[in-house]
Amino acid sequence: MSSLITTAVPEGTLQQQATSINKEHTTCCYCGVGCGVTATIQNNQVIAVQGREDHPANFGRLCVKGSSLHQTQHSPERLLRPRVHNQEVSWEQALSYSARSFQDIISKYGPDSVAFYLSGQLLTEDYYVANKLIKGFIGTANVDTNSRLCMASAVVSHKRAFGSDVVPGCYEDLEKTDVLILVGSNAAYAHPVTFQRIAKAKQERPHLKIVVLDPRRTATCDIADIHIPLAPGSDAYFFNGLLSYLAQHNYCDAHYIAEHTQGFEAALSAAQKQVNNIHAAAAACDASVDLIAEVYRLFAQNKKVVTLFSQGINQSSSGVDKGNAIINCHLATGKIGKEGACPFSITGQPNAMGGREVGGLANQLAAHMGFDDQADIDRVAQFWQAPNMAQTEGLKAVDMFKAIDEGKIKAIWIMATNPVVSMPDADFVKQALQKCELVMVSEVIADTDTAKAAHVLLPATGWGEKNGTVTNSERCISLQKGFLPPAGEAKHDWQIISLFAQKMGFKGFDYLHTIDIFKEHAALSALNNTRKQTPARAFDISAMADITLKQYSNLLPIQWPVNQANPNGTQRLFSTGSFFTPSGKANFIAITARLPVLQAQRNEVIMNTGRIRDQWHTMSRTGTAPHLLAHTQEPYVDIHPQDARQLNLLEGQLVELGNRGARYIGRVKINAAQRAGEIFAPMHWNAKYASSARADALVNPFVDPICGQPEFKHTPVSIVRHNTQWTGFLVTTKNHEPQCDYWAKITVQKGYVFRVAGVQSIAFDHWLKQQYPEVEQWQELQDSQGEYYRAAGFVASALVVVFNANQGHIGPTESRWLNDQLGESIEDGVRYSILAGNTGCDDEDQGAVVCACYQVGTNTINRKIRSGCQSAEALGQVLKCGTNCGSCIPELNAMIQACRSTGV
Amino acid sequence: MSERKTYKKRLVIVGNGMAAGRIIDELIARDTVKPKSGHSLFDITIIGDETCGSYNRIMLSSVLAGTTSAMSIIQKPASWYAQQGMRFMAGIRVTQINRQQCHVLCANDERIPYDHLIIATGSRPAHLPALNQNIAGVMAFRTLADVDTILSLSQTAKHAVVIGGGLLGLEAAYGMAVRGLQVVLVHRSAWLLNRQLDEAAAAMLARVMTHKGVVLKLAAQVARFNGQIRVESAQLTSGEILPCDVAVIATGITPNAELGIEAGLQGQYGIAVNDFLVTSDPHISAIGECAEHKGKTFGLVEPIWQHCISVADRLVRGMQTAYQNTPVATKLKVSGVQVFSAGEWLTSPEHRAFIFVDSARNIYRKLLLKNNCIVGIVFFGDVRDGQYFFELMERQISVIQAMPQLLMGRRFCTQLPSMMALPMNKTI
Repeated sequence: MSSLITTAVPEGTLQQQATSINKEHTTCCYCGVGCGVTATIQNNQVIAVQGREDHPANFGRLCVKGSSLHQTQHSPERLLRPRVHNQEVSWEQALSYSARSFQDIISKYGPDSVAFYLSGQLLTEDYYVANKLIKGFIGTANVDTNSRLCMASAVVSHKRAFGSDVVPGCYEDLEKTDVLILVGSNAAYAHPVTFQRIAKAKQERPHLKIVVLDPRRTATCDIADIHIPLAPGSDAYFFNGLLSYLAQHNYCDAHYIAEHTQGFEAALSAAQKQVNNIHAAAAACDASVDLIAEVYRLFAQNKKVVTLFSQGINQSSSGVDKGNAIINCHLATGKIGKEGACPFSITGQPNAMGGREVGGLANQLAAHMGFDDQADIDRVAQFWQAPNMAQTEGLKAVDMFKAIDEGKIKAIWIMATNPVVSMPDADFVKQALQKCELVMVSEVIADTDTAKAAHVLLPATGWGEKNGTVTNSERCISLQKGFLPPAGEAKHDWQIISLFAQKMGFKGFDYLHTIDIFKEHAALSALNNTRKQTPARAFDISAMADITLKQYSNLLPIQWPVNQANPNGTQRLFSTGSFFTPSGKANFIAITARLPVLQAQRNEVIMNTGRIRDQWHTMSRTGTAPHLLAHTQEPYVDIHPQDARQLNLLEGQLVELGNRGARYIGRVKINAAQRAGEIFAPMHWNAKYASSARADALVNPFVDPICGQPEFKHTPVSIVRHNTQWTGFLVTTKNHEPQCDYWAKITVQKGYVFRVAGVQSIAFDHWLKQQYPEVEQWQELQDSQGEYYRAAGFVASALVVVFNANQGHIGPTESRWLNDQLGESIEDGVRYSILAGNTGCDDEDQGAVVCACYQVGTNTINRKIRSGCQSAEALGQVLKCGTNCGSCIPELNAMIQACRSTGV
Repeated sequence: MSERKTYKKRLVIVGNGMAAGRIIDELIARDTVKPKSGHSLFDITIIGDETCGSYNRIMLSSVLAGTTSAMSIIQKPASWYAQQGMRFMAGIRVTQINRQQCHVLCANDERIPYDHLIIATGSRPAHLPALNQNIAGVMAFRTLADVDTILSLSQTAKHAVVIGGGLLGLEAAYGMAVRGLQVVLVHRSAWLLNRQLDEAAAAMLARVMTHKGVVLKLAAQVARFNGQIRVESAQLTSGEILPCDVAVIATGITPNAELGIEAGLQGQYGIAVNDFLVTSDPHISAIGECAEHKGKTFGLVEPIWQHCISVADRLVRGMQTAYQNTPVATKLKVSGVQVFSAGEWLTSPEHRAFIFVDSARNIYRKLLLKNNCIVGIVFFGDVRDGQYFFELMERQISVIQAMPQLLMGRRFCTQLPSMMALPMNKTI
């Protein structure tokens, strides 16, 4: 509402910061923990980051990714100018072209022929404007977001149970509880700072019981008292069994059930019908009766229980039901809305919740209002003064790309996300985009897999440049601050969207600053938000509608609702037992648990996908930081020893997974932490970083029928050993795609390392020289039998490439020393060492990096363990490893353990 | 002489080159009664046809190139022999051996009787099948006198031709090029150092020589020298004429075996000796380049040092130290570039070759393997660990596990082939 815009506020005060060193409070742009960050800025560059001491999400801690924020600021791959059909153009040209094309398509095919695909990486203000434009002015709800891949299940679970999409608890509950059950959450990798808080709480209060339910024995199990490696997708059976158990052993809170809930009988009956005792649960979950009994007992006998659930629950064809199966147990025992007691859905992305607040999904409207209620639609339309208000839900992500493929959607605008890598059946998505009449992409990075498909490519500002709010998993709104000038001609997403809207002739987009948008958003959250003297909608930040620029710019983290009753925010909801359903009572949902859509056929294994410790999503930013690729350098496949034996696979060999015509090639990691018949592949790799490792291209587009979230965690795939004939590495200053069947790119300080492998024998020298015509001088080591080959190429005595290869599947030894020589003018004394790969002195290679913060490697650590360091703390004292972010502590412990068990 | 309490054996050494110099040192080292005191085991006479004392012939090229003075390469000046109580007959050639009467006849008609005779007459430049090579300015590169002559000619000469692309020829060419002459090097084979280098390494050497200003005529032979009194040009068999004021012939060596052979000693190429360097006459030993052991003659110093040890052990201590004709690595420094070559040097289909090349830096390293063991080493430009590889080759130690890293040098390897694999005396 443009009347809300009061004064024109000049953007930032950037010029003052030219030379002096100053510090700014902001938030991290990665996961849903939403850590506060204090950035140190000099000469318009972030020179250091540290955890913000007074931020309630992290209290000073940062994980590896967060600690490296400043290292991803200077990507050479940054998109700096608008492009139309691969030609750099002015903003005026780009926006005019885009708006005209949109108008043409809409006038020919109607508003439902266009779509937006947004991202949990956008700030709330960006999100708000995008949602307003498409739903209120273009007139379609074809707007979805990558949160569909992440939180859609939990959103619907919350709405069904609570009448509103609300996470009732807060991070403090994780520390104050007596029993913490992590379900489908590898918090140690996906939410490292939260995990560190839990680990610290466990250390301080050893009686805090930690239970992990996960088919994999993940790093999170490092601090667990009990790990149940349950069958993938059997979670709802487990919780139905728990509900039966609670009823059978009289652990239900009859008073709470009667006063504050409805539908208990039906839910219990459905649970009992399916899983009426511990043995049935054990059978359904393929788990130990004793362990299940113990966990059920823990849940039943403790008042303070938190069930923390994440993608293992959400990314499922029955994710909504799984969420409700969990919530049912908490409702039945009244373990909700109290300190240390709640079901807790932890989000993946920094602003997944902000997106949910503004209604950035196809089945939401705005500010927790929906399409179910015509009054909501009318209210929002009036507030926006929307000329063309969407009246019905739009297409969710998977259906949206299907509609593009079918030609129903003819124009799509993708912002801040990379669906060609992250969507299920990602090759289909790629093909669909190739058919699409107009693909607009707003991006920070110029050549993401999705950006390559764009007709219009718009440079957006990135972290440190953009300014606005985000909401983390515990409903905490923080400012992600802009303190740097935009790179090149980049603009803020809200600006781009507003300018585009104005080009299309719409009014109501003349924002001058994000505070204008925020205040409008806050005002909308307050609009007619009362029912019997209490808010009708949980999302209410009415107390912030009149925020001043000074307050906004120095916003202290605050948990919504923020209203007259709770002007300082709300730590926990539902403490009074009052919910947002029409009756005010929470709903039990009768759940009949279902297994994943497809089970493995002969010669297939079940592929699970997920995060690794140091990468974020599709690596567009984190892939450019050498630190973050030191821990896990290459796409891989975790596989149980028994499967490896059967498939004749050795550690470090390449293995090929297949499904839907797509293939994934990764290194075999034999890992007893997997269940037999089930493998794990990281979700991050894209076509810029590896030849064939877009794991999501293999994922079937099966979705939860209610929420549309895809089943990322369970894909039957074929598996076969890669027919590797030769293996090698390239260390090079040149970013390119090596001409071979397999390659994976690793960013290093001075260039790239490519691991390469081929299925056909080649003349190594010819192969290499063809790809490096610019090299002036070659140094070569030839073997007349062609088993080995090494070469180094120089341009004006600077080292530009080293290639080292041999026949077979075991690659030659790499060395960090060699990587550090890249681009250097090499003295004759050192030049000779290049093909040797080391300086020849005694300094042994420190091995694969375990501690990314201090770059401490396996060999170094193992030496210290052997010389007497018997704890992670002891190692930290001598090597500093694990003393910064602590993400590697599980690994350090595992290494100590391994050393003990082998007696080495 | 009649006062002598014990009879001293009369030891006569013919020749005063590097072998003779070395045998004297070895004898002194073993003789507990020092000859200076007059109580030596031996009464030693050294007869050499060069006028100076024993000098380091290997250093002649440095003298030619001007990096070393002639004086400094003389290891035993004439006065030294007298100090040691030895008789040194300089500038005198031995013309005949009388084995029946056990004496040698000198060109000055002096007869020198011996109880034991050591022939160390060395070698001379091999014969060149070219016409008119006895004119002035056509010369060898063997002695200090040769160097003196070349140097004095160089003062006026503009053009030089060197015949022979072996070490000696390369050094002569380099030395004269450094002195400012325009040098053409004529070599019969298709590449330089063709007994030590393969074609690729030799090509690098050719680049180095060319860079120094030496013009190379490979696969070429001199048919004749033109000139009446002084050489004016060398004419190749192709007809090409190379003008020159000086021509140096360095096409290999011929043992100076005639003295022994004419006295009836056996030998085909040189004077035949057994494993103890004894000729077919038990009173006569032969060492150095004039000797022939099991059909082989010598050109490098290392085996000759072994000759001297064996002979000294036998004569002084009565010890039978057998000389073994073990392979020798060629270690050269040609115009500042190091070369290490041992064993086989040409790659054939039965070999597995590992080759490192850095063309821009003129570095070439090749190991030839057979049955996983080294059988040939050709290093050019960077010879690090040459001796180590040589030992691996000598002991026939399997190296395949350490390849190809080992080629770069042992300090780059974390795991080296075990030297204990086979006993030391294993020979190929």
